[in-house]
Amino acid sequence: MKRLLLLFQIICWSILSVNGQNNNEEIRIIAIGAHPDDADIRFGGTAALFAEMGHKVKFLAITSGDAGHQNTGGGALARIRRNEANKAGEILGVEYEVLSNHDAELTPELHIRHDIIRKIREWEADIVVTHRPVDYHPDHRNTAILVQDAAYLVIVPNVVPDTPPLDTNPLFIYVEDHFQKPNPFKKDIAVIIDDVIEKKIDAMSAHNTQMFEWLPWTRGISLEEIPRDSQGKKKFLENELKRRFPEKKAFDEEGVQAIRKWYPSSSINRINHVEFFEICEYGRQPTDAEITKLFPMLKTKK
Amino acid sequence: MKYIHISIFSTLLLLLNFNLNAQEGVENKLNIIVIGAHPDDADNKFGGTAALFAEMGHRVKFVSVTNGDAGHQNMGGGHLAKIRRKEAQEAAKKLGIEEYTVLDNHDGELLPTLNVRHQLIRQIRDWDADVVLSPRPADYHPDHRYTGILVQDAAYLVIVPNVTPDTPPLEKNPVFLYLEDHFQKPYPFQPDITVDITNTYEKKIAGLDAHESQMYEWLPWTGGKLDEVPKNKEDRIKFLRQNWGGNITPEERQNLIKWYGEEHGENVKYAESFEVCEYGKQPSDEEIKQLFPMLDQK
Repeated sequence: MKRLLLLFQIICWSILSVNGQNNNEEIRIIAIGAHPDDADIRFGGTAALFAEMGHKVKFLAITSGDAGHQNTGGGALARIRRNEANKAGEILGVEYEVLSNHDAELTPELHIRHDIIRKIREWEADIVVTHRPVDYHPDHRNTAILVQDAAYLVIVPNVVPDTPPLDTNPLFIYVEDHFQKPNPFKKDIAVIIDDVIEKKIDAMSAHNTQMFEWLPWTRGISLEEIPRDSQGKKKFLENELKRRFPEKKAFDEEGVQAIRKWYPSSSINRINHVEFFEICEYGRQPTDAEITKLFPMLKTKK
Repeated sequence: MKYIHISIFSTLLLLLNFNLNAQEGVENKLNIIVIGAHPDDADNKFGGTAALFAEMGHRVKFVSVTNGDAGHQNMGGGHLAKIRRKEAQEAAKKLGIEEYTVLDNHDGELLPTLNVRHQLIRQIRDWDADVVLSPRPADYHPDHRYTGILVQDAAYLVIVPNVTPDTPPLEKNPVFLYLEDHFQKPYPFQPDITVDITNTYEKKIAGLDAHESQMYEWLPWTGGKLDEVPKNKEDRIKFLRQNWGGNITPEERQNLIKWYGEEHGENVKYAESFEVCEYGKQPSDEEIKQLFPMLDQK
């Protein structure tokens, strides 16, 4: 009986895996941010587009976010932020995992590099999204270094041998930032997210402690100035996005070129929200045709 | 009586040694040390230049910061490290260089720790190095990047007596050079020195051929080309030539003309290039010619 069961299991498993192989349209993306909300702010729209098209997106926060508040902290804050992340994940249609490394204390250690290698492998990622190693928060920079250090090693069987290596190196991309040194962010890929901007803002709203308490506090905005009603909150966040990414209002030359490259028949004036990405040199180096395959929302053809 | 024998013997040895040097025409031996992350890294970026230095009678040493114990699809750990150490010794023989030291840090896990920095300071000092070469801190493998950082971090400290006081400091800072790579960020590799290795290219290939576990097993495996690896010796050498050779950029060509003159420079088939690191001695062109005597062949 046991043997029969086992046989049945094997048959099921092989059918499943054959299906998995046949379904070669499915794209698997893992977005690795330093804190619960980083992936949402810089990749939320593109994530929602992937999810709507049936692809599999996972957000991974390397720290628990347990330092990101003026009145609360530690495990209590981490619990709240994990809940917020799960809500945001539901809104975007992505899986959201929050690791338990302390916020504001992240350093590029081997054990965290190994955790990241495991997560990328387990997700069988085609695309890995992360920060650049230049950014205002050391956790962002160190997250980038950790992911860069994983970029080649995910295919090496002797590294983290408890988790089978990937067959091919994924594409690694950076989310946008405005830092200029030692080199500015390069807009290699543009994704228009106007169709899902509501979802992105809703997902950001789910990070209540951050969007309406901690981040305004760090900028000296008194809590009285924050709208209470959900409409007002959304408006507030929309303005926040514009403040953070001023080129959303008027794209710079590089931005316009990137949009024209990936959406040749779109008219720039009608576009409001775009997420830009830079290709990291330390993973698979894709051709334009491969980028179009990996980002099926791009409309390079009429 | 015994002592007399020994002293006669050692005098003979000295004479022989002197004679050999005289034949090679070297008055001031240069001490070159190349620090790579894995056993085979120095070989594929510096093998041709190393063989040239060695032929001219200078002292070249390769150091691998890790023991390479992760670089294979079927083997690993101490077992693999032993194989790779042996391959490195074989490669050193093929290139004619004096030493190939493989340190015992784990492959795939290198971090810029003080412990490893001190290991490298000792290596550079013990070799009394005039020139130190390493990868740039931009490269595809984290071990390469951290080797770049570790060597940069050693670059000033090799002259500081209070640092690693068990090993006497160098009297002057060596010239630190980067080995070539193709990465563009934060800025692309700049070929400051380009060496014509056409005459030692076959030696370089023979050196690479010694790293059997890498050239014919692991690297083809990572590239999905294991079935393209030939079985017999001759075809294998051809296979290596296809993978490690001949692409000279316009910038390198200009450089070759600068250092070798137009006629020679235009006809160079194989070359290796190096970038001057800002953290060691900053050499003038005249000093570069002294440190790379093969350049002065106009």
